[in-house]
Amino acid sequence: MAKWRIYTPEGVQDILPNECFHKKNLESKIRNVFRSYGYYEVETPMVEFYDVFSLESEIAPQETMFKFFDKEGRILVLRPDITIPIARLVATKYKDADYPIKLSYIGDTFKYNELGGGKQKEFTQAGMEIVGINSHEADAEIIAAAIDCVKSSGLENFQIDIGQVEFFKGLMEEANLSNEEIEQMRVLIDKKDFLGIEELVKNHDINEDLKELIFSLPKLFGSIDVIDKVEKYALNNRCIAALENLRKVLEILDDYGLSKYVSVDLGMVQSLNYYTGTIFRGFTYGVGFPILSGGRYDRLVEKFGEGKPATGFSLGINMIMMALDRQKITTEEPMIDSLICYGQKGRKNAFKICETLRKQGLVVEMDITGYEIEQIKNYARIKGIGGILNVLDDENIEVHNLENDEVKKVSVTEMLNNR
Amino acid sequence: MRYLTIALSKGRLTELSVELFEAIGIDCSELKSSSRKLILKDEKNKIKFFLAKPSDVPTYVEYGAADIGIVGRDTLLEEGRHLYEVLNLGFAACKMVVAGPTDLIGKLDQLNNKRVATKYPKIAREYFEHKRGESIEVIKLNGSVELAPLVGLSEVIVDLVESGRTLKENGLVVLDEIADISARMVVNRVSMKMESERINRIIDGVRKELEKR
Repeated sequence: MAKWRIYTPEGVQDILPNECFHKKNLESKIRNVFRSYGYYEVETPMVEFYDVFSLESEIAPQETMFKFFDKEGRILVLRPDITIPIARLVATKYKDADYPIKLSYIGDTFKYNELGGGKQKEFTQAGMEIVGINSHEADAEIIAAAIDCVKSSGLENFQIDIGQVEFFKGLMEEANLSNEEIEQMRVLIDKKDFLGIEELVKNHDINEDLKELIFSLPKLFGSIDVIDKVEKYALNNRCIAALENLRKVLEILDDYGLSKYVSVDLGMVQSLNYYTGTIFRGFTYGVGFPILSGGRYDRLVEKFGEGKPATGFSLGINMIMMALDRQKITTEEPMIDSLICYGQKGRKNAFKICETLRKQGLVVEMDITGYEIEQIKNYARIKGIGGILNVLDDENIEVHNLENDEVKKVSVTEMLNNR
Repeated sequence: MRYLTIALSKGRLTELSVELFEAIGIDCSELKSSSRKLILKDEKNKIKFFLAKPSDVPTYVEYGAADIGIVGRDTLLEEGRHLYEVLNLGFAACKMVVAGPTDLIGKLDQLNNKRVATKYPKIAREYFEHKRGESIEVIKLNGSVELAPLVGLSEVIVDLVESGRTLKENGLVVLDEIADISARMVVNRVSMKMESERINRIIDGVRKELEKR
């Protein structure tokens, strides 16, 4: 019966102090970026009704969700994503707001992911959302903020690819393909499967220019020149508007001084039913998956009430941690400055000294074993503690410096005043 | 400079892939010597190679453990990995088909219970369920799939066919073609962005080499 007692289920894990320290530090760096942009954090429940996600089968496929039932037999899920709950939150709690709502979140999400490459079934996502406005400035701000978040983590070598799903939708409108064929085409372009694209285009009566353009889509990534190249073709209004938006967003990001992180990818075409404008993804060395992704999703909020345009991004905390590790980027390590132990007569002073040092911002461990000093030294060495204060009595302290093995005597008054 | 890592499929694709890479100036001599090393290097071009079981190649590439992979399209279809399929290398060409006894010709949809023996459960399911809208029972086998209908284990099979000789000798026929199969070059999605210059040079080189043939 207790066969599984000592195991954790596949895809979830304990996080030990060192890693946990790094993770929480990373989260707080990202949280600081959120706050500095004025996007305060919200929390949505870990558990939601299945119905919240059921319409978004591309973002949250039914088979990837952890499901269970409530007392009334309704289907509950562990949230696979936080953007969709935020859309619900905004549509219901900010119903009458006629100004942009800016929110952020950091929280755990759950998916039956295949494991490996940094993927777990329980994973932490952090993200920002702007709901209630569709502007080039909003699209650019969310990308700028995403870049700042990645920079704050310590990563320097990364790239944000920006695409525009409306451009693809415009092309498909012109090509007059059925919805099913459009989805087929999307998958082929997303896979850069040139052969498949050729095959699909071949069987349709599409004008040669458009054929050529569709066929080149998977190759249309790189600098802003990509847009110039495409603009030479005769395009419909939908495509022109999409390119115009992309150009504006890139101009604004240039004014932010972020051009070096940004490149264009017109062949990036994910989730056509969900995304409605600018989309983007972040890449770095050492992880095979994007570290962040986002974009404009103007048709989501309306599923929970009155429609509002929106854009946002989410960033995988675990992916960033893996990238930092793979790129050998070191950040602050957890450390303990000193360990205090005491003789029978020194206890009261020991607590006083401990309190003083902690107030000064030092990390101080109190000895709770009552062991002999040699044993305590061993413990301190294992934990990498720099020094031990042995408070002998009312007046005398032995300071053991473990780095050079020196022992000094100081008085309690000296210790309290010198610091 | 960072190493680019290439995963090659162990087996009949290995030699053909090596030939192709040598033709574009990548040094595969370490690969050709019968060493027991698992990872082999071309120091000049900063390229690492390793050989993996074909069905594992897409996994290595998806997770970024390899930047580039050479693998058959059958494996790609079966594994359904998230990667870029950038080149059709043309070699190792064959077809993925549904085959069965001659009396099933044109009567495939009349069969009530379809038991399908195959090494490719996902491809079989995808074909029957999505393309034909029929439910099937998949029987996963690891080899000599042609045997299954002969001994009554299944009604039909889904398998790769090159010349069709094995089928013919066992009284089986192709009932429908599912897909054309050949070797493909695949690239990890992130590598394609982060190392686009070096990877594109390899892709272009290989493409030119293939055009010459």
